Amino acid sequence: MNGDRPSEEKPYRRLETQTLLQQIAFTGGLEALEASENGNLAWVTSGFPVEIPIAMNVGVVYPEQAGAIIGAQKIGPEVCSYAEDLGYSQELCSYARASIGSTEKPDEVPMGALPTPQILLACNNICGTVLRWYDAIAEMTGATVFLLDTPPIEAEQLPHHQEYVRKGVQRLIQFLEDKFSKPLQDERLAEVADLSSKAIGLWTRSLEACQKKPSPLNCADRFLTMAPVVSSRGTEQCVDFYETLLAEVDDRVSEGLGAVRDEKIRLLWDNIPMWYTLRFFNLLASRGVVFPADTYTHAWSGSIEGVDTSSIIDGIVEIYSNVYLNKGLDAKVDKMCQLIKDYDLDGFIMFSVRSCKRYSLGQMVSKELVTERTGVPGVIIEGDMVDSRVYNEAQIETRVDALLEMLM
Amino acid sequence: MGTDLGIGIDVGSTTTKAVLIDSSGAILAKSLMQTGASAVQAVDKVLGEISSMSGINLENIPAVSTGYGRARVELPHRTVTEITCHSVGVHRLNPDIRLLIDVGGQDAKVIRIGPSGRPDDFELNDKCSAGTGRFLEVMARVLEVSIDELGLLALKSTSPSSISSTCTVFAESEVIGRIGAGDSPADIAAGLHASMTSKIVALSKRVSFAEPVCVTGGVALNPAFRHYLSKQLGTELWIPDIPQLTGALGAAVIALQGLG
Repeated sequence: MNGDRPSEEKPYRRLETQTLLQQIAFTGGLEALEASENGNLAWVTSGFPVEIPIAMNVGVVYPEQAGAIIGAQKIGPEVCSYAEDLGYSQELCSYARASIGSTEKPDEVPMGALPTPQILLACNNICGTVLRWYDAIAEMTGATVFLLDTPPIEAEQLPHHQEYVRKGVQRLIQFLEDKFSKPLQDERLAEVADLSSKAIGLWTRSLEACQKKPSPLNCADRFLTMAPVVSSRGTEQCVDFYETLLAEVDDRVSEGLGAVRDEKIRLLWDNIPMWYTLRFFNLLASRGVVFPADTYTHAWSGSIEGVDTSSIIDGIVEIYSNVYLNKGLDAKVDKMCQLIKDYDLDGFIMFSVRSCKRYSLGQMVSKELVTERTGVPGVIIEGDMVDSRVYNEAQIETRVDALLEMLM
Repeated sequence: MGTDLGIGIDVGSTTTKAVLIDSSGAILAKSLMQTGASAVQAVDKVLGEISSMSGINLENIPAVSTGYGRARVELPHRTVTEITCHSVGVHRLNPDIRLLIDVGGQDAKVIRIGPSGRPDDFELNDKCSAGTGRFLEVMARVLEVSIDELGLLALKSTSPSSISSTCTVFAESEVIGRIGAGDSPADIAAGLHASMTSKIVALSKRVSFAEPVCVTGGVALNPAFRHYLSKQLGTELWIPDIPQLTGALGAAVIALQGLG
């Protein structure tokens, strides 16, 4: 028998839990379709306090996740071009272009076009583009936009900003109650907040298990398994998924199995990945390179503390104001240095995402600061998350190879 | 024979270089020619040349290839990036050098060299022809001089033109404007060198600056480039005898040492 040879020869181990994702995506797709038909589907941004619409039985889908799927299917340039044909710039966020493009020509994008929304819930804690993007979708679909405004935090959140965001969350509840003519039930919110915290707690434990050597998860594993914590936190299904993932991660740790079979170099990844070529991580795996930590998947790690509606809202204000992208450069540098220390990393790769200015701005400065503070070298590579037209493989290879040569 | 010799091959965007060294690091043979349309053919030719120059059969001699065409080399070899190779090559020639500026046909790199001769940090400019040899080639064509004459022409300038753009396309329009305004070709050429150099200086500020500074790559042969770079950086520059060969030399040193 030599049937099992190919998978044994791969330099990385495939995560069994990954197979559950298809089922989750399929169920999620059906539920969204049903919600859209019933007139209560919301499109939400990844950093939106989704616990509130979920507690009110509003269906939710994530255009950013749809953008990632479009990228992974390698149809990013084509779908983005539908938006560009409408006059949108190539410099615009490629998630926004993919979303506008697939809304314009849904039949051309079978696996990425989302069901028609009734409301669009945007929180600008991840960037300012989301508001204009959702405005454009509102124009195309007739859905109403709600913006939760979270002023950026330089050091600590100012008390009046906190109060301002709190008012915004209350306005959100009012908006949903008016729109769907039903009240938010305190018990249900507490239940959803609890499920959300549980899922995030489990997810965080899986992330932290990567401090072990060898690391049980690699970058691509986390980019794929982060999907439920982004899109369905606050549900039972999401908690179940992360229980299964954590069990597999714990098994790997106790058996000393790494995501990469022969772990030699541990690196930090900064920014959204290039969804069209996650193979990048597998190719590096064959050279013993693993990424035990990244700034992207660690962004969903705040769990809501709170027992009643008022304290839950306080928790929501705290968590959603303090997301990674809503903070200044110092906080980002601190986070990267902390990850390098906690995960005992040898170096870092910063992906400069051409169409995500919010994430990429300041990388040149932070690269210098991170090296200065941690003593480990890093490199900046350029490309985009969805639009593969700006990704030059040969140039990226040279930069990454040079970094590895510095480490070997 | 085999372990006391090393071959380095550098397949660049414009030229392909090969070097054969002995265990003392002395260059036994070297070759440099246009890469042209086929990197494979260019490699065959430079290897043929170093073989006939040295009278040595290259079979079984360890080889390392570098440069953008490094994967195109058919001889059994290992590949190492040009960043490490240039660093090692320069270190072999002058171990004091701490900052290396390499300006080739289509890219520019700034490498901070550690005490061991390995790179500590680096920055590349490779998405844009600003600050590369290509910029000067385009401008030489507009001014109707050869690329070798361009630098000498610039040094004759008494009042350099102001060329604000570092972009090859926009600078070309600016040059045409300066020609229309009656500026002398020497003044325009000087302005172009100053502009192109400012791009390199900006790149070198992205790695923490260190001295002494070495300049390599084909553009290092251009006296006006060296003049403006030295002036803008405020430091003397050290230039190897054949500045295009340091990548290939570094590759040969690595081949010889069996490091990678």
